Amino acid sequence: MLAIETTELTKYYAKGRIKALDHFSLRVEPGKIFSLLGPNGAGKTTLIKLLLGIVYPTGGSAKILNQPISDHHTHEQIGYLAENHRFPEFLNARQVLYYYGKIAGVQTVTLKQRIPDLLKLVKLGDWAETKIRKFSKGMLQRLGIAQALINNPRLLFLDEPTDGIDPVGRREVRDLLLSLRDQGKTIFLNSHLLSEVERVSDEIAILKDGKLLRQGRVQDFISVKDQYQVKLSANEKHFREICQRLAIRLQEQNGAYLVSVNDRKHLNQLIDEMRSHQILIHAIIPRKISLEDYFIEVVEDREEGQ
Amino acid sequence: MMKTLALIQLTFRESFAKKTFIAFFAISTMLCFLFIFALNLDIVDGVKSSVSLFGKETGKLIELQKILLALEGAVAVALFTGGLFMSLFATSNLIPSLTQPGNIDLLISKPLSRTQILTGRFLGAVSIVAFNVFYLVIFSWLIFSLKTGLWNWGFLLSGVMIVLAFAVLYSLMTFLGVMIRSSAFSLMVTYLIIFFSPMLLQRDKIYALLSNKIYGYIVDSLYYFLPKTAELGNITQQLVRGVPITSWMPLWSSLLFGIFMLGITSFIFSRKNF
Ligand SMILES: Nc1ncnc2c1ncn2[C@@H]1O[C@H](COP(=O)(O)OP(=O)(O)O)[C@@H](O)[C@H]1O
Ligand SMILES: [Mg+2]
Repeated sequence: MLAIETTELTKYYAKGRIKALDHFSLRVEPGKIFSLLGPNGAGKTTLIKLLLGIVYPTGGSAKILNQPISDHHTHEQIGYLAENHRFPEFLNARQVLYYYGKIAGVQTVTLKQRIPDLLKLVKLGDWAETKIRKFSKGMLQRLGIAQALINNPRLLFLDEPTDGIDPVGRREVRDLLLSLRDQGKTIFLNSHLLSEVERVSDEIAILKDGKLLRQGRVQDFISVKDQYQVKLSANEKHFREICQRLAIRLQEQNGAYLVSVNDRKHLNQLIDEMRSHQILIHAIIPRKISLEDYFIEVVEDREEGQ
Repeated sequence: MMKTLALIQLTFRESFAKKTFIAFFAISTMLCFLFIFALNLDIVDGVKSSVSLFGKETGKLIELQKILLALEGAVAVALFTGGLFMSLFATSNLIPSLTQPGNIDLLISKPLSRTQILTGRFLGAVSIVAFNVFYLVIFSWLIFSLKTGLWNWGFLLSGVMIVLAFAVLYSLMTFLGVMIRSSAFSLMVTYLIIFFSPMLLQRDKIYALLSNKIYGYIVDSLYYFLPKTAELGNITQQLVRGVPITSWMPLWSSLLFGIFMLGITSFIFSRKNF
């Protein structure tokens, strides 16, 4: 069973002038952290709203937890943190969790136990009885996360979860997400930036202008094929000669070398040559670029292509 | 059921938090007390003392009953008119605030149908008004009854009538709130309809002014379609005074209007993108 499955899902606004989501097909496996990345206005929020029945599709279809999105009964098993959520200001933190828990169909007995635990989990234990109009953006965001967990959901939608949260808080959110995933929950999150949180994703997809640009595992995105970082004990001039002979492109980067080979055989040829010349190899590391660089690269590429 | 109940509770809380209801509660209590005490002391007590002076003279007792019924009828009409105006005012923001971005998204993500969400809100508004109206009606009824020793149960029906009339008018407010999302606009239109209700009732007097028969039909249709608040006020008074009701048409046709408005609103609300 898939956690989320969309088929050619489409949403147009303003009579088709705004293509918020354009024939978007996606499959999300259960038990994973999935991040949907993309610049502002890419259509990320629109996708979540479609999946939850907050807006209706112009075309295509989708399922969550194997049920068509038009069925609101599935919502008993989902949690949602809205992008700019707004809880009634006259409530305190405990009441927010109580009322929204009730509306989600959670029994009062269960709520009585769960609310203090959740407040502690998001570090709001001491703020239970404080009216939320006194809360900072970060506190509201953490309360929003607790609210999304109030019904112990199987599938969690988080729209820009790190919005307004400081770096320390982000690390805590990251650890929280990992522990939730280890409990077997599926987490779907949206972000327009890459923070620690997105980096813990098992899988990411990049969305722009309503279209899916890439989808895959994080490792696949960030390792660059056939490029290796070579670390040597000294600045070996033999090494340059060898590379030249084998037609290997060589760059110097922060005291290490970066080689571009044709394939694995080519790389091993290089190693053989180096060893036969008594060059002492410290390390050979597959080259990775940061997800951030990659993200910006993909998004900008697309802009130039248009 | 539990979920809808939670929505109703949340609506209750919102009303009290908004202070408009607290103010409504305080002002109406004060006004009615002033009104009730002023009338009570002068008229009812005077008659009562003369009753006890002449022993068991039934003629006087009937006279007292008449005065009491007239008085209660007048108070019921005042409560009906004032109560409706204030209740509508105090609850006018509940629908626009429901559909606020960030709030409605979250509610839709819960295991509820859109109709349930809207119904929960509507029932929340009606129950808070019912709570307030019955508080007033029962309180003033107790004062009248204790002062005179005559228990006119019919007076309590005025509470039922006010709540029903409110529910009918609030269905219109719900419709306008979902369509336009402005509490001021919804309130204006609803007040206008209350204001024109007596004129539509007396429409035979304006037939002569209409240049074409078509206008006559239009006015007629408007009369039958729209809530008949003026007549509901009259029915309220008759119920309180124990006068037989000649026609229930204004009540059931107004209720039909309410059901119709709620149906349409629910249909539109269920298809909206938020
Ligand atoms: N209700 C709406 N009416 C018209 N356009 C909308 C509406 N909601 C979103 N859009 C447009 O759809 C596009 C995608 O928006 P959104 O899904 O919010 O992007 P993201 O969450 O990725 O920042 C944007 O161009 C936005 O302006
Ligand atoms: Mg967004």
